[in-house]
Amino acid sequence: MADSVTDSTFKEVVLDSEIPVLVDFWAPWCGPCRMVAPVVDEIADQYEGQVKVVKLNTDENPNVASQYGIRSIPTLMIFKGGQRVDMVVGAVPKTTLSNTLEKHL
Amino acid sequence: MTSANTDKTQDDKVLDAMKSFAETYAKRTDTYFCSEPSVTAVVIEGLAKHKQELGAPLCPCRHYEDKEAEVKAAYWNCPCVPMRERKECHCMLFITPDNEFAGDKQDIAMEEIIKVRESLAS
Repeated sequence: MADSVTDSTFKEVVLDSEIPVLVDFWAPWCGPCRMVAPVVDEIADQYEGQVKVVKLNTDENPNVASQYGIRSIPTLMIFKGGQRVDMVVGAVPKTTLSNTLEKHL
Repeated sequence: MTSANTDKTQDDKVLDAMKSFAETYAKRTDTYFCSEPSVTAVVIEGLAKHKQELGAPLCPCRHYEDKEAEVKAAYWNCPCVPMRERKECHCMLFITPDNEFAGDKQDIAMEEIIKVRESLAS
């Protein structure tokens, strides 16, 4: 399961992480976020130890969402060494997400 | 207590109006609801919530710097410009039949929406 991250824990959990991090930017009333959530959880299990997987509620944490220019939700962003290295927008199939992730391992 | 009851009635009215709008608009544009009804339900609820709070059904699948300003700009008020121009609804409320997520329905039961609302009210 993906843990939650907030405006206040984002730096410590995501930017300062030793391993790559996948961040699921979601919102409570967003339909496709419900489709992608189980995919993100599967990815978390599959890449356990290799990739940290977290989710950020954009309604409750607008600062980080704005800082990274989140517009369309869901947006899945990959961070490595404190930098954003890739992103995928929308409810994508698991293969799309894992292929994107593999590039950064 | 009285005011809470009035609010609830108003909520239900707006929700009912959004549900009717979604059903009518799907039929008019030959688009379908998602095969997973909770997706449709949560979006209709999100639209109703924005309608209630902001006066317009701003798309619930976007992050905004300033919701009031977006409502005035009207681009993302449902049905948004991409939907009206190209039948593109990234919120997956109105899905063209060629899309793998399209179901075969243009109606949704109110019970379905209430169920999702209750699962989110915590």
